[in-house]
Amino acid sequence: MSALKRKRGGKGPGGKAKKVKLVENGNEPRNTETEQNKEISVPAPVSMGKWRNKERVLVFSSRGINYRTRHLMQDLRTMMPHTKADTKMDRKDKLFVINEVCEIKNCNKCIFFEAKKKQDLYMWVANVPHGPSAKFLVQNVHTLAELKMTGNCLKGSRPLLSFDPQFDKEPHYALLKELFIQTFSTPQYHPRSQPFVDHVFTFTITDNRIWFRNYQIIEEDASMVEIGPRFVLNLIKIFQGSFGGPTLFENPHFESPNTRRRVIRMATASRLRERQMVKELQKLKRTENKEVVTRDVTDDVFATPAEERPVHIELEAPAAKVVKKNKHKAFKRQRMQKR
Amino acid sequence: MILVNKTMDINEDDEQLGETSEEDDSELSDGELQDAFAKGLLKPGLNFTTQEPKKIVNNVEGLKQCLADFRKNTLPWVERLDMVNLPADDIVAKSEGRLDNKASGDLNPDDDFQREMFFYRQAQAAVLEAMPRLLKLKIATKRPEDYFAEMAKSDQQMQKIRKKLIMKQTMMEKSEKAKKLREQRKYGKKVQVEVIQKRQKEKKAMMSAVKKYQKGMTDKLDFLEGDQKTAKGGAPAKGGAGKTAGGQTPDKKATNKKGPNAKRKYKDQRFGFGGKKSGTKWNTKDSHNDVSGFRAKVAHGKGGKGGKGGKAGPGGKGGRGPAKGGAKRPGKNARKKMKGRS
Repeated sequence: MSALKRKRGGKGPGGKAKKVKLVENGNEPRNTETEQNKEISVPAPVSMGKWRNKERVLVFSSRGINYRTRHLMQDLRTMMPHTKADTKMDRKDKLFVINEVCEIKNCNKCIFFEAKKKQDLYMWVANVPHGPSAKFLVQNVHTLAELKMTGNCLKGSRPLLSFDPQFDKEPHYALLKELFIQTFSTPQYHPRSQPFVDHVFTFTITDNRIWFRNYQIIEEDASMVEIGPRFVLNLIKIFQGSFGGPTLFENPHFESPNTRRRVIRMATASRLRERQMVKELQKLKRTENKEVVTRDVTDDVFATPAEERPVHIELEAPAAKVVKKNKHKAFKRQRMQKR
Repeated sequence: MILVNKTMDINEDDEQLGETSEEDDSELSDGELQDAFAKGLLKPGLNFTTQEPKKIVNNVEGLKQCLADFRKNTLPWVERLDMVNLPADDIVAKSEGRLDNKASGDLNPDDDFQREMFFYRQAQAAVLEAMPRLLKLKIATKRPEDYFAEMAKSDQQMQKIRKKLIMKQTMMEKSEKAKKLREQRKYGKKVQVEVIQKRQKEKKAMMSAVKKYQKGMTDKLDFLEGDQKTAKGGAPAKGGAGKTAGGQTPDKKATNKKGPNAKRKYKDQRFGFGGKKSGTKWNTKDSHNDVSGFRAKVAHGKGGKGGKGGKAGPGGKGGRGPAKGGAKRPGKNARKKMKGRS
């Protein structure tokens, strides 16, 4: 990314096939369509006003991130034109090195993605020179490229930010809200921005996590479609300094992924151990000295002694049974006739 | 006893003093334990180590201070474009009469659909609130039709998305069609089976009725009512005429009323009954042996004029006797000639 020199007079750089035209009254681009030539000439945003709010965000990551994180980073850079990228940081370096990197790049905010064990993704959002910083665990990442996100917006258009009322209730959420506003909102008249507001970022607090969504505004009556990306942030800590300093807030509901995995493993282990114990107990029982039961107590339950009869020996064969073979029945017809 | 207990207690593993900080796994020495007991920190009973509850940092003051420092109060709203809002009204839930829970605290995070709808409505509320403000600041939210600029997602990506949506739709339609076809076929099969069964039942009933009649169990021929057209040629062994007029089978239409057709009746009247030849004109044994109609004279041709009138029956023809005007009838050629003359 080349550092473009910007003239202080407010003239922006030549855009990507846009004719830069100085408009006196700084109206909306609708009025700038020339009648004579077919080309649509839209003034660069900076020409409409002076870019004062100099926010620059540095978005980069550590080594060992996976493809989803990489795409998420790219998507953030697409959505926010006031971002800059940098090479991957080595894990060996301590975190406060990031402050220096930001200074070199002349950025005053930073979003840093850290991947641990190739499984967990942590995100740092920091205000670089002195300000607060926060560390989050990122979950449920969905990128722009997913086919279920059907919306689209101008590249570099300014977002509307929408926050849950819960952000105003707690002091730590209030601080986070301020941090998000300053990081995510595109400055007005930024040279790479588009002058329209056609998408919304929503931050909602549910289940002690912050849910991020990005919607495209289709109609003025607020019908919307999701553009993406989307992710869930689980706050870990807030520090007073940038990537360091005293801890201002620690999230009591946060359970580190390691502990979570450990708990699951221990649960399965304990189940196994229980089963083994039961088996051993059974073995013990089998080898125990067993009591020999000679007489069954329940033996005479069904004993119903019959009355005594004298023994009778039969000397002659029993009488033959009378065999009735042919039952002479009348024929069916005659039977029916009788009826 | 008590002493023994106490010593036993002290020799148990893992005893701890309540107020000291977290212990390592190594046990306290006996001497220390005895000191602690002397001070009255140890109580009788089994003591075991517990971890001190972890202190969670929540430096509210620090947070507020930091926020105050950090906040950029000079920024106008237009630079930040932030809104705080509850979600918009849920039309669906309202129409169903359900009370929608507005706060995000009552939201069940596991119910995906509800959660996403909540976020959607929050965004909607933000947009509805922000529109007038943006209009006032003259910031457009809709881009004009011919404003071409780079989009966040490339055209290729959008094509893919469109294709996928269309594919989904067609698949759904196909499955719907297949289902309907299957249903139709099932129904058709059912109907077919029913019709066949009915026919079989009717046939069975008819056969049993005929058998009954043949065996003499019924003397009514009601069952034939349905088969008016199929004439019962070989009439059954016992019983009356072939055709009856009796109970009508309800299936037959009204054409069978009052016996045969009126037209048929008229024709029978005029031309005699149709149907099988009655065979009255055929020879039987008796008629063959009946020689009463034999006239010898006529047979041998001896009778003259008078003999002509007396002739009757199959006595035989006259030979080639007299030609014209004789007792015998002239031959064909002769008659023709006569015709031509007169």
